[in-house]
Amino acid sequence: MSWFANIAKGIASLFQRQRVERELDEELQGYFEASAAHKQRNGMTGEEARRAASVELGSRNSVKHQVWSSRWESIVDGIMQDLRVSVRMLAKSPGFTTVALLSLALGIGGNTAIFTLINQVLLRNLPVRDPQQLVAFGSSVFGGVAGGISLGDFGGYFPWDFTREMEANPGPFQGIAAYGSFSNQVSIRRLAGGASDANSPAMLAPANLVSGNYFSVLGAQPLLGRTIGPLDDAIPGSGAVVVLSYHFWQQSLSSDPHIVGKSISINGAPFEVVGVMPQGFHGIKQELEPTELWTPISMQSAVLQQASMLTPYSGLYFLHLFGRLSAGAAAHKSELAQSQSWLNQQVRNGIREREGENLSADRQLEISRVNVPLVPAARGVSMIRSQYGDSLKTLMIVVVLVLLIACANLANFLLSRAATRRQEILTRLALGSSRMRIVRQGLIETFLLSLIGGLMGLVIAFMATRALLAFVGRGNAYTAMSPAPNLGVLLFTLGVSLFTGILFGLAPSISAARLESRGTLSAGTRTVQSNGGKTARFWPKALVIVQVTLSLVLLVVAGLFLRTLRNLQDQDYGFERTHLLLADIGEHLAGYAPYQVAALHQALLDRLSAIPGVRSAALSATPPISGGAWTSNISLSGYTPGPKENMVSILNRVSGQYFETAGISIVAGRAISPADTANSLKVTVVNQTLALKYFPKGDAIGRQLTIGIDSVKGPWQIVGIARDTRSGDPRDTDPVRMTYIPLSQIDPFLPVNAAAPSANGKAIKPVPRLENEDCYAHTILIRTSNDPAKTITDLRNTVAAVDPNLPLLQITTIQDQVSNLISHDELISTLTGVFSLLALLLAAIGLYGVMSYNVIRRTNEIGIRLALGAQSGNVLRMIMRESFVLLAIGIALGLPLAILATRVIKQQLFAIDAIDPTSFAAALLVVSLMTLIAGWLPARRAAKVDPVTALRCE
Amino acid sequence: MTDRNGPRDSKSSDLVQGTLEMLILKTLAMEPMHGYGVGLRIEQISGGVFKVNAGSLLPALSRMERAGDVKSEWRATENNRRAKYYLLTAKGRRALSAETEQWQRQIDAIARILEA
Repeated sequence: MSWFANIAKGIASLFQRQRVERELDEELQGYFEASAAHKQRNGMTGEEARRAASVELGSRNSVKHQVWSSRWESIVDGIMQDLRVSVRMLAKSPGFTTVALLSLALGIGGNTAIFTLINQVLLRNLPVRDPQQLVAFGSSVFGGVAGGISLGDFGGYFPWDFTREMEANPGPFQGIAAYGSFSNQVSIRRLAGGASDANSPAMLAPANLVSGNYFSVLGAQPLLGRTIGPLDDAIPGSGAVVVLSYHFWQQSLSSDPHIVGKSISINGAPFEVVGVMPQGFHGIKQELEPTELWTPISMQSAVLQQASMLTPYSGLYFLHLFGRLSAGAAAHKSELAQSQSWLNQQVRNGIREREGENLSADRQLEISRVNVPLVPAARGVSMIRSQYGDSLKTLMIVVVLVLLIACANLANFLLSRAATRRQEILTRLALGSSRMRIVRQGLIETFLLSLIGGLMGLVIAFMATRALLAFVGRGNAYTAMSPAPNLGVLLFTLGVSLFTGILFGLAPSISAARLESRGTLSAGTRTVQSNGGKTARFWPKALVIVQVTLSLVLLVVAGLFLRTLRNLQDQDYGFERTHLLLADIGEHLAGYAPYQVAALHQALLDRLSAIPGVRSAALSATPPISGGAWTSNISLSGYTPGPKENMVSILNRVSGQYFETAGISIVAGRAISPADTANSLKVTVVNQTLALKYFPKGDAIGRQLTIGIDSVKGPWQIVGIARDTRSGDPRDTDPVRMTYIPLSQIDPFLPVNAAAPSANGKAIKPVPRLENEDCYAHTILIRTSNDPAKTITDLRNTVAAVDPNLPLLQITTIQDQVSNLISHDELISTLTGVFSLLALLLAAIGLYGVMSYNVIRRTNEIGIRLALGAQSGNVLRMIMRESFVLLAIGIALGLPLAILATRVIKQQLFAIDAIDPTSFAAALLVVSLMTLIAGWLPARRAAKVDPVTALRCE
Repeated sequence: MTDRNGPRDSKSSDLVQGTLEMLILKTLAMEPMHGYGVGLRIEQISGGVFKVNAGSLLPALSRMERAGDVKSEWRATENNRRAKYYLLTAKGRRALSAETEQWQRQIDAIARILEA
């Protein structure tokens, strides 16, 4: 173990340098005395012997140094020394150090922040067995269709009977499981002693319906108890069991260790808790607001509070499927293709089965082309990923560019400093310091900078990520994402820090190592070399050109995103976007039965309209614009649809004064009014697109419209035509067809099935009529005369006065509602804007530094020129010419690069050309201004140089 | 070992690279000695051909001590001064015989080449 002893001794001697030093001194003294004594014995006098011994020994310090360097710890010691020197050097120029650390911290912080998000949104695998074997069927992640429209081609949503077949017969897959497309909020109460405890507060949490084999196909093990099994999901209506997420168990049930076997109430129905999942498991759906509860699909009716969807051929497509590939298919493309074609075959058969025998040849061909792609789902399926994925990737590139600009700056600073430290380095070389040592000291200084910058960057990143998550999460109390860096992020930051250190430390170190030691020690020599030589002058300029180029690209990109956002915000939405307050209410959660809501609605509208400052109030199923939509097929009297013609319309049920309140103008006929009651003629208002599509001659008013959903079937008479509005994705400029029906005219009971009563005219037994879920309103709209946010308190008080139990789930202004829908555009345009300004600032600092340094370097020359009669204007022009050249080259390189960059982000733009002249012109202007100002300041200083001082200096 | 620091005797010659440690081992194999004694002994036995100064001797001893070939202890000298004495360890003894053997092989080989 001699190497071990060696290391131990080395470390000991590092900590006890004084003792080691003393021992060496003593040994040398002994050596000296022994030598003198020996010489004296050989006949020298005492004095002579001592002198001779002293000469023989030479410099004691030199010997000590040699002994010290023979040991490994001397390297460590040297590095420590270099570190101390570096810290002193940095402390000596606080201005440089501050700017360097700040730009590094911002650069690295930006990278870390974006990487933290990318890591969580795009890179993290599900915490399950062999996640790489998981595939989703189709790429749809949210939504689903619960209305009576034929989706025909499945497209990622599947009906219940089809998923049951797939679960039972997974073909080449290890298993196929289903889960509900809607993750809906359910109201949960703890049950005290078996009975629902009415006093315990209700909690809202997102629940997901899952098939019996969901957990086993996913390969997830419970922390407590068991997961949902096939028996739980066997019979529709039975299997009232629930599996909890770790977070819900911890936060809402205070980590009750005996929770398994107890019951909780979900939407009023008791469910037995059978298991708790481990921390970090949120199911296959990776969303910002993670799923907290899983219940069997068999309990759909209780969980979704809707009539049963679990009947064959229901036309309800509300489930997603995913599968676990066989080990072979996960590894080999050919086997994967077999699984794919098997799946397509199943889907095609499924569609044929549902559409019957008599299909046209066209439809046959269409079906034979249906393809449901297998989408890798190792990281789960996620709406945030599809929403923010592209934005995050773009932002990652942006922050890398910013970091590059910061690096260029630092490299320039260090280069110019290396030049001013030339004398010191030459002195050290002349005194026998090794080149290696000098380079090492330089590198240690840069690494010190980059690591401190990295540390500060981590802090900045943490704060930035928290802010970003708050932005992305829109105030959700709990999200599955955390701003805390994990090991991957820490390694990433360390790597970035070291990489930047190498990047900006390399050039100065090399230039220092290249220094010739001969002949340049004399002060103030005005040789080519003391001016830095051609290469030394080339690098700073090249770096500035890179900065100008990258700034230009970033500014163009930022300009494009800003204009995209502006276009999205400023487009014509078709409704008034000011003075409108929206509130989500939960009539259903408060326990109102459908036949009770008419009175509630009347009370609400009366009281809300009476609030001072409220111009009008209305109720509707959905706000004028929202992420989700209620849709259905419609049919119209006097219009015969072509075969398989798309007859889908978005529906909304509204109270009287809805159009007035939302600010949607009526272009023909009349609006729905409070006078349209349950007893009057059933009326409807359609939008321009719908009217024009089916009645291009303008005779839509007076026609009968029938909706493909039994509960609101109609027929409804068209009495008015409303302006087109954007109702969903603000990027979706294709006009949609809208149908508005009066809330008050929707029957609170479902129509009795026409086929059910006996046909032979006998007295019909009174059948209990089913309640109609489609008469609830979910949204309150209030048009105010002042700032709508000021009415929020009044709104709360008023709703509480009508019914204190009626929950107000979310209150937003219409502006917020719109900005929710374009949040990723806001995110990317704000951040690219901020980052490109940061880049511009860094580039300006860099340019200013280089130009100032040039001016200082040429002070002599300028002095001579001025002394020989040059005008200060000439000098100004001379210096400015240099900036112009750099700017010109930077633009020449930057423009094509920017055009290339716009190709990459083309998809993310809205309503502008990728080569948008305004954005390009603005970017060019800003970059030119920046260059000229950063160049003008030093140039002016140069022009004011006093020739006498200039010639005296140095 | 080239000695950059000390004055050079015209008769002395540079040691062949790497042989200094072997010579030190050999010297210490006779008896424990302090630094100056080792240098003196090498000079005497070589008849003044090798002169080792402190600048090469002490770093070599320090290196060897680290490697575990020698160990040191403080002892009184013949004229009653404290001095650091170096002793050969068992590992040092093995190193000496290994190095001597290798050195002998090289000498023989070189001699054969020169005689050919």
